[in-house]
Amino acid sequence: MDASRYAHVKLLAADFLSLAVSSSAPPTISRRGRPIYRAEFVGVVVSRDRRPKLLRFLIDDGSGCVPCILWLNHDILSKSSVFASGDDLAASAARDHAGKVHLGVLVRVRGRVTVFRGELQITVKDVLVERDPNAEILHWLQCIKLARDCYDLPLAAVTKV
Amino acid sequence: MASSIIKPGLLVALQELEPSSPFFKEGQSIRVTGKLQAYNVESAIAIIVDGGATLLIDTQHLRDINFRINSMYQFIGELLIPHDGQVVLKARIGRNVDGIDLNLYHQSIRLRRKFEADIVRSKTT
Repeated sequence: MDASRYAHVKLLAADFLSLAVSSSAPPTISRRGRPIYRAEFVGVVVSRDRRPKLLRFLIDDGSGCVPCILWLNHDILSKSSVFASGDDLAASAARDHAGKVHLGVLVRVRGRVTVFRGELQITVKDVLVERDPNAEILHWLQCIKLARDCYDLPLAAVTKV
Repeated sequence: MASSIIKPGLLVALQELEPSSPFFKEGQSIRVTGKLQAYNVESAIAIIVDGGATLLIDTQHLRDINFRINSMYQFIGELLIPHDGQVVLKARIGRNVDGIDLNLYHQSIRLRRKFEADIVRSKTT
């Protein structure tokens, strides 16, 4: 089993935006033949568009802009759900995350890699504000090291380890 | 809000902003970092310095940012290169980055450029 299926893969935006998307339904998103399900980015919020049911924003890490979507419609869904209390918690968490997203703020974003109208995006799970500017530099170096030591290796070589 | 509308601010050192540089283009989106040397409230023009090089920053579109002389700031915006005048970065994003390790930052930019070039190469082959 590929352990990275459940991990948030640390990527630079340029790497993320060059992922391959299959034409199957649902599409498979992959990097050098390895499927990518979840990803993590650190970057500066350069665009923010709040709608009643969602927040769209872009984070810029200098190599590209990653489109992010944070759903805020848990309240609407919970009215018809038997798991209302869980949805309330999710709604509260999503509102908290949305409140952290402001222009010019350095954020760490984790979420699922999805495709909307043919474009890759992140369906956000959580947002963390990074107060130390060096956190961004550390993330870049981790992305480069992980790509060379792990993500670039053939899938079979990693699963044997 | 398609990602193609907003271009990424390429990471550039102030010393690289000279006419022979590939980043030195009208409208080029860049991200620069430097120490605030001066700030004019009336014109909203800031001057940042790094490694002996300076750059004028037009901050008129920035909100919620306090300027303190000798603090470190990072700006993302577009380069304006007039025929007869000083180069200005029209900033759309600005933030304080006090505590940043500038040596590590510049070394990391060099590593990143190599890595990003590898990504482009692997895409084309």
